[in-house]
Amino acid sequence: MNIPIYPLIALLLFPGGIFLLGWGLAYEFIDRKLVARFQNRIGPRWFQPLADWVKLLAKEEIIPDGVHKGLFLALPVVALAGALTAALYAPIAGWIPSFSFRGDLVVALYLLSMMTLCIGVAGANTMDRFSILGATRALTQLFSYEAPFLLAMLGPAIAAGSWQISEVNTFAHANLWMILNQPIGFLIAIIGLMGKLELPPFDAPEAETEIVSGALTEYSGRGLALFKIGRNVELVVGLTLVSAFYLGGLSNPLEFILKTLALLLLTAGLQSLFARLRIDQTVGMWWRIGAILALVQLLAILAGQAIRGLL
Amino acid sequence: MSTIGAMLGDIVHSLFVRPATEFYPFVRKPNPDRLRGKLIWNPEKCSGCQLCVKDCPSNALELIVLDKVNKRFVMRYHTDRCTFCAQCVESCRLKCIEMSNEQWELASLTREPFMVYYGREEDVQNLLARLAQEKIETPDRE
Amino acid sequence: MTEETGSPRKFIVPIGPQHPALKEPGHFEFTVDGEIVTGASVRLGYVHRGIEKGCEQRSWVQDIYLLERICGICSHSHATAFVLGVEKLAKVTVPPRAQAMRTLFLELERVHSHLLWLGVAAHEGGFDTLFMYSWRDRETVMDILENLSGNRVNYSANILGGVKYDLDQKQADEIRKGIDYLEERTKYYLNVVTTDETFLGRTRNIGTMSYDQAVALDAIGPTARASGLARDVRVDSPYAAYADFPVNLVTETQCDLVGRFVVRIRELFESYRLIREIIEHMPGGELTTRVPRRIPEGEAISRVEAPRGELFYFLKSNGSDKPERVKVRTPSLCNWASVTHLAIGHNLADMPMMLAGIDPCFSCNDRSVTVRKGGESQVWSWEELRRYGIEYYK
Repeated sequence: MNIPIYPLIALLLFPGGIFLLGWGLAYEFIDRKLVARFQNRIGPRWFQPLADWVKLLAKEEIIPDGVHKGLFLALPVVALAGALTAALYAPIAGWIPSFSFRGDLVVALYLLSMMTLCIGVAGANTMDRFSILGATRALTQLFSYEAPFLLAMLGPAIAAGSWQISEVNTFAHANLWMILNQPIGFLIAIIGLMGKLELPPFDAPEAETEIVSGALTEYSGRGLALFKIGRNVELVVGLTLVSAFYLGGLSNPLEFILKTLALLLLTAGLQSLFARLRIDQTVGMWWRIGAILALVQLLAILAGQAIRGLL
Repeated sequence: MSTIGAMLGDIVHSLFVRPATEFYPFVRKPNPDRLRGKLIWNPEKCSGCQLCVKDCPSNALELIVLDKVNKRFVMRYHTDRCTFCAQCVESCRLKCIEMSNEQWELASLTREPFMVYYGREEDVQNLLARLAQEKIETPDRE
Repeated sequence: MTEETGSPRKFIVPIGPQHPALKEPGHFEFTVDGEIVTGASVRLGYVHRGIEKGCEQRSWVQDIYLLERICGICSHSHATAFVLGVEKLAKVTVPPRAQAMRTLFLELERVHSHLLWLGVAAHEGGFDTLFMYSWRDRETVMDILENLSGNRVNYSANILGGVKYDLDQKQADEIRKGIDYLEERTKYYLNVVTTDETFLGRTRNIGTMSYDQAVALDAIGPTARASGLARDVRVDSPYAAYADFPVNLVTETQCDLVGRFVVRIRELFESYRLIREIIEHMPGGELTTRVPRRIPEGEAISRVEAPRGELFYFLKSNGSDKPERVKVRTPSLCNWASVTHLAIGHNLADMPMMLAGIDPCFSCNDRSVTVRKGGESQVWSWEELRRYGIEYYK
């Protein structure tokens, strides 16, 4: 929608801030409910993520021995801040982003990666064996999916001829859906999104049966609550970006809801379909198949543009 | 021959059927006939042989003899010690004991319901009165 | 059993005693270098409850129910082994209908145990969907058992001299219907386990134990049968009604985790066939026979094929109504050596799958044995006791 919003309201209330936190909780509920239905069971009730979050905020935060206290307390806040800031440049709820500027695609993607980086540093900070293993795995996974994911998000940007998310959004809305133009790019984008969010099958960094909870093992209370809600916000922002680019742009709230829910359905299905991949299998898969496919897609786009330029 | 996503058919099918979870306690399945629930003792046929008391693996049964000649017994059944194995049902030659298949939700907030007295009405009243008196005389006994 | 590499960096990851991967407490220490495991050691004993000592203070009848509660999913195997041993001591022949009912319960328990294991192993590998579906199907066999005996686990079907519960026509029909449904689902699971690429990536070439290694490490049960070692008590020395309803031994030559999955699923098919056969040809007659309260003096050994392998009971009576000694050797105890030996060289991420592959039952495990021979005391390892038992039994 083209109605501009006063920037402070956009930052704090809608579509960033409180609205985004609530929307993140709602999407976590829908995700858990869909996965449960795929597994033929009832899922949680609608207020479960909210109840979890409120409960975590109310619990005591235990600071383990041997950590750097300031870093321990600051990392969850920085992670959440990164995710919320990235949301300022994406067309959440179909509104044009109030703070967009030229080149904000790169900034948004790096802010989303900051969450994973914070988890890695948080894990390396503690003296717990499980956390160190989890941090190593999280950072290894970051290095493996980041390049193909960026290339996949670059595809529509090159087609639109701009590095500004809102311009790519309008371009995608005006033309044929890019999922049909660049199917390989869409595939890599959605699977890369699952890797970024550490959803199964890419949840090796927080494999419950191997390393308890990975990098977040020692976190409790407020820190854990902030990390969790940061994850949810990242889910919303990631889905918004992928659906804005590949599913024909988001121009009003109804389109936003329908398209992101469709992607969420697809993601939930992929989550319940596969066993967990080991970390070396993840790295191998991304660097062999993922990177090559992304390069092929990029070359196809460049070739297409060159041909169109000749015509 | 390998596939990716071998459970796809099942997953998609599950979206369109009801979940397999039972909505207990709002919906209950009918009890099987042989369900081993709470013990029920019929005092009419009992001969006082106490084989059930001897064979119980967890000492959940006690037979209190009020009058051996006239066969007046009271059985004290500790529901919280019972393992519901039904050995007592087998051991009784006169088939005085059975396990109910209706009463199996045995949870309570206090200790009292777990000690159950079975017997003829007057026998049980007699015994309870006697025990209450013993408790008043020796108040420190548990 | 810790092996040190020459490297000064020793990073030990403890799995247990409290860990989401383990359903019961047990302590494993893996020395890792990055993600590769370089050493492993096991420490058990967290669930020792003194059951063998408790058996000596309860009568023979009460002991059935105590021994049944050593383990939740092989409970009937424990009770059957005990009861077979006591009947051997008392020199009593149990009517054939009771033996057939015991075999029916044993096979139903095997179905229950293997379906449970399939779910747990899938969960260790991160495949929660298979976990949920196989446990949903396990409800079918638990309902069958509840209809037959009155309880979903700990069926308490055995008594000294027979069984408590009989099979009538309505229940036979229900069992057939349930088994038909389960057979279809099991075919589907066999397909999933052998063809799903992500799952094969977690199980192929993990924990490979060749035939010679299996013999040297003395593996038993489905773990050994997946390496081609043909050991099954039901075939080697039939007990209960297995002489009348023979079992086809299931072995595989793929010696890794995939083989162990396939062996257990194929054993499920074999169990379905056996259950149908037992229902068809149930011998007539009575259900119990009288066993005296005081068991005559003597020693007896009974071996039963629990879902995890060979279960071994040694009973000693001194003529009274309480046993003098009950010794239990459970199958999971023999398979630990294979895990600690084969763990070296694998990724840390494979450890839970390897542990789940031998189907560990920690509650069965905690025992110790000391045998005094004429004044000097001697500690026997499980290998020596097992050999003693086999030779005595011949």
